Amino acid sequence: MPCALKITVTGRVQGVGFRPFIYSLAHKYNLKGTVQNNLDGLLIHVEGDKNSLKDLADEVRHSPPRLAKVDNITIQEAAPSGHDEFMIVPSENKGEAVPWLPADAAVCDLCTAEMNDPADRRYNFPFINCTQCGPRYTIIQGLPYDRPLTAMKGFPMCLSCKEEYEDPGNRRHHAQPVCCPACGPKLTLLNYTGHRLSENSNAIRQTIDFLKKGKIAAIKGVGGYHLACDPFQASAVDRLRQLKRRPQRPLAVMVKSVDAAREFCSLTKNEEQLLSRPETPIVILRRKEGCSLPDILSPGLSTLGVMLPYTPLHHLLLSGELPCLVMTSANTSGLPIFYRDDCQSDLNNLCDYLLTHNRPIERPVDDSVVQWDGEEIIYLRRARGYVPDPLTSKLNVNNILALGGDQKNTFAIGKEHYIFLSPHIGEVENEEMIHSLEDTLCHYKNWLKGEPECIAFDKHPLYETSALAKKLPGIKVPVQHHHAHHVSCMEDNSLMEPCLGIILDGTGYGEDGHIWGFEFLYGNAESVERLGHLSYTPLPGGDKAVREPWRTAAGMLLHYWPEEGRKLAADLFPEETVNLDVISRMVTNGINSPFAGTCGRLFDAVSAILGICTIATYEGEAAIKLADVIEGTALTAHEKEPYPFRVIATQDHGHLLDFSPMIYEIIQEKRQGVAARKIICRFHETIVSSCVQTILSVMAERPELNRTVVLSGGSFQNNYLRKEVKRQLRKKGFTVYTHQQIPIHDGGLSLGQLTIAAHVLKSLSHRKRGEKRCV
Amino acid sequence: MAGRISLAHGEGGELTHQLIQEVFIQSFGHGEQARLDAAVIPCFSGKMAVTTDSYVVDPLFFPGGNIGKLAVTGTVNDLAVTGAVPKVLTAGFMIEEGFPVSDLKKIVKSMAAEAETAGVSIIAGDTKVVERGSVDGIFINTTGIGAIGEKDLNPAAVKKGDAVIITGTIGDHGIAILSARQQLGLLTDIKSDCASLNTLLNQLIQQTEGIRVMRDLTRGGLATGLVELCEDFSISIELNETSIPVHEEVEGACEILGFDPLYLANEGKAVIIVDSKEADKVLQLLHSHEFGKNATLIGLVASISEKAGKLKLKTPVNTTRRLTRLSGMLLPRIC
Ligand SMILES: [Fe+3]
Ligand SMILES: [Mg+2]
Ligand SMILES: [Zn+2]
Ligand SMILES: [Zn+2]
Repeated sequence: MPCALKITVTGRVQGVGFRPFIYSLAHKYNLKGTVQNNLDGLLIHVEGDKNSLKDLADEVRHSPPRLAKVDNITIQEAAPSGHDEFMIVPSENKGEAVPWLPADAAVCDLCTAEMNDPADRRYNFPFINCTQCGPRYTIIQGLPYDRPLTAMKGFPMCLSCKEEYEDPGNRRHHAQPVCCPACGPKLTLLNYTGHRLSENSNAIRQTIDFLKKGKIAAIKGVGGYHLACDPFQASAVDRLRQLKRRPQRPLAVMVKSVDAAREFCSLTKNEEQLLSRPETPIVILRRKEGCSLPDILSPGLSTLGVMLPYTPLHHLLLSGELPCLVMTSANTSGLPIFYRDDCQSDLNNLCDYLLTHNRPIERPVDDSVVQWDGEEIIYLRRARGYVPDPLTSKLNVNNILALGGDQKNTFAIGKEHYIFLSPHIGEVENEEMIHSLEDTLCHYKNWLKGEPECIAFDKHPLYETSALAKKLPGIKVPVQHHHAHHVSCMEDNSLMEPCLGIILDGTGYGEDGHIWGFEFLYGNAESVERLGHLSYTPLPGGDKAVREPWRTAAGMLLHYWPEEGRKLAADLFPEETVNLDVISRMVTNGINSPFAGTCGRLFDAVSAILGICTIATYEGEAAIKLADVIEGTALTAHEKEPYPFRVIATQDHGHLLDFSPMIYEIIQEKRQGVAARKIICRFHETIVSSCVQTILSVMAERPELNRTVVLSGGSFQNNYLRKEVKRQLRKKGFTVYTHQQIPIHDGGLSLGQLTIAAHVLKSLSHRKRGEKRCV
Repeated sequence: MAGRISLAHGEGGELTHQLIQEVFIQSFGHGEQARLDAAVIPCFSGKMAVTTDSYVVDPLFFPGGNIGKLAVTGTVNDLAVTGAVPKVLTAGFMIEEGFPVSDLKKIVKSMAAEAETAGVSIIAGDTKVVERGSVDGIFINTTGIGAIGEKDLNPAAVKKGDAVIITGTIGDHGIAILSARQQLGLLTDIKSDCASLNTLLNQLIQQTEGIRVMRDLTRGGLATGLVELCEDFSISIELNETSIPVHEEVEGACEILGFDPLYLANEGKAVIIVDSKEADKVLQLLHSHEFGKNATLIGLVASISEKAGKLKLKTPVNTTRRLTRLSGMLLPRIC
């Protein structure tokens, strides 16, 4: 008597080779039935011997394909329907559930081996792929994910490819981008005037030659164009920096293998694994002592962003001759990445040569950036490979859109119990970036089939995202910046009960009109209470102070010590002596000097005081360069001694942190010639102690509060701060959470906003129901 | 006459009479009208333009002018950019008790002088004295009447590609006021651009074709002025940041203060939207005049839209910034 099972698998199961996998399992266990993709996920009907059914179910559960991310498997007994074979039946565009979109994945080992095999028909073919690898998100026009709705629709399969595509036992069964030299896209090398130089293998050969000569090439990748040059030629790197208008910000390199990475950087096992994952993110690694790569790749830093080749073309370019390339997104600072082929004339201004091909990029996406902090993965930029995998929520978040903030923007859209976080969009501060945000938003809406009914956004009155929110139809939910950070971290850890939060951040608009960013909170998505914060100091020049950390430092000195501050500032910043008169009057008379109490600006000030960075050329530069000094090294007992600071109990805001004694001592020590490293260590330790001490005084007054703490905000990208605050609070018996799946900086705001909006909607509908009952 | 204005100066009695005789009538020279309750003026043929504005400025005296001059130029310019030839003004004064009479005289004299330059007469006025603290020194309101000639502006003809011209450098007034406040110790001797533009603008209207609209720039600066123009006429304008003329010292002051010259006040600048074919001629005419010698083409009408127009700025790094009205946040009120 045959038995039958109905197995439903949801999660990232489409476009990842799940059907051929089931097909071969069915053959292995001699089972009959069907497998089908639909909008619900994967639907399997198998019948046959009871033990074999169990074996198949176990394998589905325990060893799914490499790209699959199974969210849920349900197995039900079913009535056998007498199938006499096992079949893959065509996709069905039916079902209610959330459409799942596959993410892009690096070329797999099997494909790489084929590509390197002179006997293979895809020898040296730069577009080789299979169900286990290749472009996905970036080539999809619409759902269901089938070839006619991808960028491959213009490339009809040749007979050999069609055979593989249709053979359920083949690795390329229903691999939508499958192709070969006979039927696939073509590579073309152009010079900057648009003149065609060569095609395919010749184009690769010539590109390598040009790069070796120190030229800059734009290379079409998965989510956009890269600009590439030889990192060992300082003049080429320098020119690239000028063209991109990016004087200091680190540039990532692509190295041909893990072994090559090991030549330049020290690597742990976890870092090796991160590098070689199908997502192939840029991994921030520590440069080795005596690393032969020039310092100008990451000026002032001991780290380097490294990634492995992820397209077949990358593998063909990186060879013994060229083991390493600078690979940076093709755009000038402040603009979105180039990805459209009709923009080639703009691209021509950025490069000498253009290595391109005729498979369109449907969706732009940047390279992801991650770091291993010794304990866990830190997502610095969540983009290619990670999007569009959704996060799951315990709440119904259907049709809520959260627009995030203006810096490191991501938006989030809710569908049922899933939250789709957009790829990193960037700094939304000009029309081009706003357009890029709107364009991505438009595609997400189409894919997820629905117009958002509720829009959450930041309370900052001057944010472009807030202006965008106001233009969209639907219920508007403005969310305070740090409440969003707090709830973002809670949601990232599925926490619902009120908890403590330490939010160390750059700049966020506060409820009192001042700039916040060193916040002690208690609450959850429903409401939050501000238990303490850093005392405010003026930022003379507003935004200008964010770009020029010396101003923030001067603002602090003049505010803390109206008499002596002017002299202290003049000693520290002799080159600004002329301007200090005006700056000090701006502070005294409150002219264009908004008040801020933020961790980011505190780091800026100390960085400027120590002369590490007085004027920033990229966001966070001062803080990043300061933190780099102690990164990855153990602190001595002397270095762990905090500077003096005060936690002042106030009536309205609970606890007010005052670091003026620390600032004073730092300046004295600098004068006395104390090593910068020691000052920086003690500064870090002071911030950590102040966090712990504030939490302890809060708990002493209100022992009824939950002893759970979430850590969020951009300043917690600082590894020492994050790890030490966590460690020390845990020692005191707190349960401490940081982010798991999304960035800790403003890139995670949208998740918090969306969750808060879901609660607002819930209480609105409760209230409505309540009103009806009353009537 | 006493050295300071007292409340009695506003009571309508002898002191009021004295004040009017000695300060206003002498300066404005209206012996005739003063005998009647209202000024009687000849009726202009065709259309007339009327505008009113109140002037409040701290400090009252600043490099390049004072509140009195401002009260004339501001109203004259509002008429001029409408395409009218300013004819007459009225002036209302609200004076704080204790205000020095000598200052009042200076202010009134410069009003008279500016009115003469602009070719308008001040034909009626009013004075109130209020208790100390009720106003800050002196507030002036002026109303202006002008005549629209045969040749008028033609906003309806505005089209894509039309040229956007500014008559000179931006932000001079804003920075002059800020530095005159002496709160900042700004090392600049920039003067306010405060000037009557009616002769210049009238000449343009008479001697060129295809002027669509003009707007004088005051507080809120070039950006706010153009945003309003874009919205009022449903056009989108794209400015080129590098071509916008900014006085070196204004730029230096903005650099240190963190201000954007696009949002700084002006009191003697206008933007002109004109058929691109006539742009060169307009520029030539402007350049030959003192108040237009730094005139520059700063952008183009990018599109005509059904909905509210937008103002965009191409930056030197090739990004496009959408400009909105002065937000008023973090910025002090500088005029
Ligand atoms: Fe933030
Ligand atoms: Mg006006
Ligand atoms: Zn593969
Ligand atoms: Zn083929």
